[in-house]
Amino acid sequence: MYEAQVEVRNVPGIHARPAALLVQAASRYKSEVFLCAGELTVNAKSIMGVMMLAAETGTILSIRAEGPDERDAVDGLAAIVESGFQES
Amino acid sequence: MCRYLPAHAVAGDAMIGMTVADFYEKTRERLGLQTLCRSLQARSRLVTSDINRPQLALTGFVENFLWDRLQIFGETEIRYLNSLGEEALGKALSQVLGFSIPCIVVTKGLDPPPGLTELAAQNGVPLFATEMSTTPFVQEVRTFLEEAFAPSTTVHGSLVDVYGVGLLFTGRSSIGKSETALDLVERGHRLVADDIVSIRRKRSNILIGSGNELLRHCMEIRGIGIIDVQAIFGIRAIRAFKRVEVEVNLRDWDAEESYERLGLEEQQSTIVDVKIPLVAIPIFPGKNITVIAETIALNYLVKAYGYHPAARFSENLLETIRRKRTLSRLAEGDPE
Repeated sequence: MYEAQVEVRNVPGIHARPAALLVQAASRYKSEVFLCAGELTVNAKSIMGVMMLAAETGTILSIRAEGPDERDAVDGLAAIVESGFQES
Repeated sequence: MCRYLPAHAVAGDAMIGMTVADFYEKTRERLGLQTLCRSLQARSRLVTSDINRPQLALTGFVENFLWDRLQIFGETEIRYLNSLGEEALGKALSQVLGFSIPCIVVTKGLDPPPGLTELAAQNGVPLFATEMSTTPFVQEVRTFLEEAFAPSTTVHGSLVDVYGVGLLFTGRSSIGKSETALDLVERGHRLVADDIVSIRRKRSNILIGSGNELLRHCMEIRGIGIIDVQAIFGIRAIRAFKRVEVEVNLRDWDAEESYERLGLEEQQSTIVDVKIPLVAIPIFPGKNITVIAETIALNYLVKAYGYHPAARFSENLLETIRRKRTLSRLAEGDPE
């Protein structure tokens, strides 16, 4: 298992569009990928789950993956969050 | 990797239980609670769903005093305290209130004995009163606390009420859980939750599943996007809560794996320490999961009503074999 923590930086937080970006990216990996924010843990390949986090800016997201490409998955998703989803 | 992730991952001891302030907010209407002591310490916490009547503790026997529970002062306690002289009363109360009691409730609209309110304020113990009699109050408060303290978890899957049976579909991402749920809804069954199913334990052996408030009865269908099942299919297609009765695990077809052929032995799944039947269904193109899901539900009902088809079939087979053997023995040496 591999895990990393990132902070949500874009001002609107993880709304629908960034959630879709994350899920599409996560689905490209073979590993099981999970996102945790506070008490909630959701499957990163599920759009409904990621949107349920309703993560606002400043939220510390923990990205956890388990599988053959766990490192790539965590690093890939972390990069997307850190880039602010190409938003403001 | 475990499929069941704790919904309330506890971050340090401070998170355990429920603050008394929170308890008061949530129950004051249904329990008719009134604050007697305004020093409502938001930080006092209830950590168990059990309650206590501190009768023996008030008489001075505090060896086994269950002080960490909600304390109820009913008629027995109040009458006993009122029978005491001023000095004995003060001693009894200060001994009990010396413990870090989460809160005290005086029932039946009784007047608290002199000095109790002041002592509660001094010791920072929240003190409430209710008009309810002790027994109904205990039942109500226990129901509320048991629900609040029920172990719970979140499962990645879909929960559908199929012919009144709660089927929980699980399996890897994009194996077709939502599509199966949608197909079932289309055939008149009711969706409880898709994708994220919150499950809590009721009493010791019942699992209750529900959806998430934000997601409501929306689901994602690959290729379409987000759909709202209630808007499309109406109120009869949805359900807010449902007992989870069978887990249906959708799996990729694997020629190496052996799947259940008889149904004589049941697999089980454990969710928050409750065991429910588990049916593993291999998926391959052209397979009608919806009809299989309906059959799983109906078969569960048939068994619940006391008829076990696989067991009955097996008995019939044994009986036939026995009969054949007897007949052939009779026929031996006596050809017709």
